[in-house]
Amino acid sequence: MTENANKNFTGATRYVLDDELAKIVNISMALEMPLLLKGEPGTGKTMLAHAIADSLKMPLIVLNVKSSMKLVEALYQYDTLTRLNDSRFGDSSRDVSKIEDYIRMGKIGQAFTAAARTVLLIDEIDKADTDFQDDMLDVLDQMEFDIIEVDKTISATFRPVIIITSNAKKDLSDPFLGRCNFHHIAFPEPDMMRKIIRVHFPNIDSDLLDNAITAFYAVREFGDIEKRPATRELINWIRALKADPDFKPKQLAKGDLPYLGVLFKKSQDLQKAQSNIGRRRAY
Amino acid sequence: MFVDFFYKLKDVGIPVSPTSFLTLHKALGNGLVNSLEDFYTASRAILIKSERYFDLYDQVFAHSFQDADMPDPEGIELDEVARVMLEAWLQNPEGLAEMLGMDESALLKLTPEELIEYFKERLKEQTEAHHGGGKWIGTGGYSPVGHSGYHPGGMRVGGISRNRSAVKVAMDRRYKDYSLNGPLSSALMGEALKRLRNLVPFGPKDQVNVDETIYQTMKNGGEIEIVFDRSLKDRLKVILAIDNGGWSMDPYVPIVQTLFDYTRAQFKDLKTFFFHNTIYSTLWKDAARYRKPQPIDQFARFDPETRLVILGDASMAPYELMATDGSIHLEDRSGLPSIECLKFLARTFPHAAWLNPVSASMWGYTRTIAVIRDIFPMFELTIDGLEQAVTHLMQK
Repeated sequence: MTENANKNFTGATRYVLDDELAKIVNISMALEMPLLLKGEPGTGKTMLAHAIADSLKMPLIVLNVKSSMKLVEALYQYDTLTRLNDSRFGDSSRDVSKIEDYIRMGKIGQAFTAAARTVLLIDEIDKADTDFQDDMLDVLDQMEFDIIEVDKTISATFRPVIIITSNAKKDLSDPFLGRCNFHHIAFPEPDMMRKIIRVHFPNIDSDLLDNAITAFYAVREFGDIEKRPATRELINWIRALKADPDFKPKQLAKGDLPYLGVLFKKSQDLQKAQSNIGRRRAY
Repeated sequence: MFVDFFYKLKDVGIPVSPTSFLTLHKALGNGLVNSLEDFYTASRAILIKSERYFDLYDQVFAHSFQDADMPDPEGIELDEVARVMLEAWLQNPEGLAEMLGMDESALLKLTPEELIEYFKERLKEQTEAHHGGGKWIGTGGYSPVGHSGYHPGGMRVGGISRNRSAVKVAMDRRYKDYSLNGPLSSALMGEALKRLRNLVPFGPKDQVNVDETIYQTMKNGGEIEIVFDRSLKDRLKVILAIDNGGWSMDPYVPIVQTLFDYTRAQFKDLKTFFFHNTIYSTLWKDAARYRKPQPIDQFARFDPETRLVILGDASMAPYELMATDGSIHLEDRSGLPSIECLKFLARTFPHAAWLNPVSASMWGYTRTIAVIRDIFPMFELTIDGLEQAVTHLMQK
């Protein structure tokens, strides 16, 4: 076990951490198991990995999963095109007969070969198909993989801290879940939200803060909204409100909400929200 | 250690695996867990793999560590309407038994949840058979709930806790919204949408992907490697028929409509129709069921591959379904009993599903549900039910 493993994660400057989550992060690190985070988009799943890397002073490696991704791309890539090019023109320092020169590490490969313990964030795993997920967990379980082209095994020098996020677009497979610890980040309560906003805007006017948060939670209550605004939207919204010189916090209490487009990203949602607000103002 | 706890989790239907139980012990052995709070968090992170089960976990935890009432795996949360209704109901079980047309002893055997469901069903039948049944509620209804404070079967109440302990946290049941058991609510909209997105056709893999073929061939050192893609198929047509009569359906109509509206883009065509209780010779294009009738004979013209989704509680007085002139609307006199119209639709559209907001455990208590289930495959209007319905609709 490395020295880093004994450090405990307590939170970072830009991230407000609740006790429960801190415990889960520490347990997962101690058990050396990946931590799977689920939750509404915009509740800070990705931010958590950044915060861990920040506070434990470890480099962060982010693997953004795409739907068409193959596992091998995350591990390493054999750059056939460059090799073909080199063999025809021969003006590079690489040795064409040595395939190893043309192997480039993918994100998981980088985390394994790094000189120090890293935080590996595997973002939005649910986008990929189940085969990808299962195969990847095998690699993360064994902490090694083979490079077929050169018949070499890469094993992890330091076991990375692995954070996996999912938006739950698809259900993850049982064997996958079996190898992770799980936490669901619930949407923050207004109190928690106040703290989060204070962290992002240390000098915020409390009038604006109160009004914005009240308005925000009221807007979230609208029925039939597909993508409800989350923390990320609120932060951007406050940023927009602060940037507008003509804006007065009192407007919000009266039900005049500018820049709704920052909160609602889908046109149907935006229309519904606007008509909802219009109806409330009529009373 | 905690073996009982583990098995209790398993008994209530949470998929827990022995491996994760061993992992939990590893965590315990490593001295990572020093308090009940730690144990609550640790065992949840390690054992429970989906937020859907957090609520059940909270209940089991509260039961195991503070003798809170054990969750009934089939239990249904009392919704506010039912609770208010039952509380308003006065204190005379005999009267209630008589009104519901069942024996008092049989009444006492039902769990409170069953009772409420049964009662809702029956109330609906009654209001509609009697027209303007609002009175029915007023005239001497009596509650078994109010009688002794609790139903003899024992109404579940949240336990009292001493301080902000893990048990208290567990008893808060913060994750109730994520539980899969209850009927669909707007909190679950996103989840439900994801289920519905599976409603897409897929063709055979028979189209050559040129770019990928070139890449793979090069990777193969010039040896030809042909890569196939799935060919596109025409998108689905969907007919959605909604029962929007009667207050029991009110909470579900907007949710289901929004659900299908959002998925509209993935369908070639989505038509929405309305009916009251059951379908006679016409369906209505307008929600008021007045201006735009659509005779169901004309549905025969539609593509038989169209998916027919019916939303309704299928609960009504039996004659509405069986009798030739069963409709409660006087102007609706087609001469065909509704059951024949339903059979006609089922024949016209082999891919059909009936979504029912009434919980499946109550289906046996209403005769018309049983009859309609024989005609259309019926699914609960829950996330799980929706998933099954989508699977059923996609079958060849």
